[in-house]
Amino acid sequence: MTAQRQASSAAQTPHLSAAELSYLYTSLSLPNNPIRPDGRSPTQFRPLAAECDILPGTNGSARIGFADGTQAIVGVKAEVEKTTLTADTLDARSLSLQSDLGPSGDGREGTEGSSAATGGHGSWVQMSIEIPGFRDDDALPVFLAEMMRESLVGSVGGKDGDGIERGMAGGLKGRLVINKRWHWRLYIDVLLLSQPLSYPLPLLSLTTHLALLSTKLPKLKSQGEEDPFFDDDWAVAEYLYPRASAGLKFNPSQQVRPPVTLLVISVGENVIFDPNREEIAVADAVLAISVTRDTESQGLKLLTIRTIDPPSRLTQPGVPNSENVNMLGATAPGESVAVLNPATGEEEIPGVWRPRRGGVKRSVIAGMVKTVLKKGGVGEEVLAGLEGVQVG
Amino acid sequence: MLKLPLIKLEMNDRRRINGPPGGTRPAVFASHLESSSAADRARRERQPTELRKIFLKTGLIPSASGSSYLEFQPSASLAAARETPKSLIPPSSALKLACTVHGPKPLPRSAAFSPNLVLTTHVKYAPFAARKRKGHIRDASERDLGVHLETALRGAIIAERWPKSGIDLTITILEAEDDRWWADAPDSHDASWGMMNVLAGCITAASAAIADAHIDCLDLVAGGVAALVSDDSGDSSTTSPRLMLDTDPAEHRSIMSACVVAYMPARDEITELWLKGDSSKAALENGDARSAHEALIDGAVDAARGAYSVLGDALRESVLQTIQS
Repeated sequence: MTAQRQASSAAQTPHLSAAELSYLYTSLSLPNNPIRPDGRSPTQFRPLAAECDILPGTNGSARIGFADGTQAIVGVKAEVEKTTLTADTLDARSLSLQSDLGPSGDGREGTEGSSAATGGHGSWVQMSIEIPGFRDDDALPVFLAEMMRESLVGSVGGKDGDGIERGMAGGLKGRLVINKRWHWRLYIDVLLLSQPLSYPLPLLSLTTHLALLSTKLPKLKSQGEEDPFFDDDWAVAEYLYPRASAGLKFNPSQQVRPPVTLLVISVGENVIFDPNREEIAVADAVLAISVTRDTESQGLKLLTIRTIDPPSRLTQPGVPNSENVNMLGATAPGESVAVLNPATGEEEIPGVWRPRRGGVKRSVIAGMVKTVLKKGGVGEEVLAGLEGVQVG
Repeated sequence: MLKLPLIKLEMNDRRRINGPPGGTRPAVFASHLESSSAADRARRERQPTELRKIFLKTGLIPSASGSSYLEFQPSASLAAARETPKSLIPPSSALKLACTVHGPKPLPRSAAFSPNLVLTTHVKYAPFAARKRKGHIRDASERDLGVHLETALRGAIIAERWPKSGIDLTITILEAEDDRWWADAPDSHDASWGMMNVLAGCITAASAAIADAHIDCLDLVAGGVAALVSDDSGDSSTTSPRLMLDTDPAEHRSIMSACVVAYMPARDEITELWLKGDSSKAALENGDARSAHEALIDGAVDAARGAYSVLGDALRESVLQTIQS
């Protein structure tokens, strides 16, 4: 039962007293200038150590460790799989194409069929997350895996005709297509090595991003609709997400990049990134926002937003002095006067913690998304930082 | 010695006799597909801002402390297909689900102390709910729905009024929405869009069931869906996608991005937001300065307001019935 409750909420509620929670909330909600427990600025991430290509048995891998000791390893493995054309994936056009052309049809007609064979399928990317202390069918790992997978397969590249040349038309799903009958299946296995001290989403998302950046697929030697046949020289393998050195035509800001999911909280009127365990415990709203680089305009594009249940709803309320029997007679009459908190619209006595209730205003959500997406904002900074990690 | 047949050991339920794991559907013949592909396609006949009718009734399950049953109006194309059947396969399916609330009841002795009401949500598709059969054990998407639903409801329930107690909320989905039209091939924008409609229905029904169980809430939570869709048969990149409320995925060729919210009108607050899909290339009508995701959220909120009025009426009806009887 306890495990169930922990699993469904944003993170295990830390054992902070009502007074501590109130103190944290007050310092984090100071207008325009929140004071975080570790002295970071609102948009600053925790310091981290990252490395790529650490597991020789995988197509791509990465490790990230935060300064607080939480570590995650991600391994990406790829397998060739036969594309099964079930009745689900057949439409009239692809059927008639098959009957007309037979097996001799070359690759050009395949692009007209616009069936699963060219578009790719979301189920070709499989993601599993292992977190110590959680069963793999608990709500938290499942929720995290679905959240990251959905932004990964949801990102669609430019829909240009010259899809083959750009390499990433149709996003990751399109990249996994080998030909009409074969495709890659991608297994992304995420392993959190330490106890989840804070909500592990930023750590897992950054590590997955790095691992995908370093993922290489063997170079295809066969052509068109032949059974796939690969070059056995690993040195000529191609990156899953093409790198700047591979395709000199594009500048880095136009390359398709795997999405990254940022954890954003709002406290009072402040928007705070990468919250640690104590900060998320007093958040008014918690959002997971996935962004990736927009290949056409130079900015970022939004892929998914999900609300996460803020653990502040599960905390214990504080008791104001006026209602506390032990403090009877010791309080000045005007001491505990409830004032309206403009951010939540609730009456609160200053300095007395009350668990959050209700939801989040639309303006707050819009503000949080804007901080992520704006030019030179946090999203670009994170993507640029991850790009800087040496691969290979 | 008794010899058991060699069964492929998977994580499925071996205590029951399961049906085939794959989809079970009538055979589709190529000749039929060619003749019918354009004409039989389900089409949206509602206005972009017009919602489907909702049937919602509370208190149908006597053994539960609160319950509700919700049904979306089937699309017009389904009614037409039933009258003059051209194909064995129905063009679309509509949502039907039942929700029960058990509790508030004391937490088991083994559970840790909780100062608040502990909400447990459980969403399960019936095996026959979708075109592809679902197993008896909840899969990842069903657990995911459960977490979304829990987030949506926990913001509305005034949980500190029931310390040391819990409620169990169970939703059985009897018929789920399709992710796309049955004969369409999944394209690059394909995703489980039907799940978002299911979640919106779950939120509305669960809110009604919680009110039926007389559990204090800040407001009734209603779920709403809005999506950016492009319906052109040719290349979709030329014309801009349009914003539609309460989309039935079977009626649209391609959904670019969709959003579901759980919304409390009395406080103008969103307790749950789930937006997915690439909305960066969507251009709104002239004079609309909002970005695509803001328009989506606003659209979903409008849809939720519509569901809210049904929710209020259904609860008023059930209260009147209890007074009269």
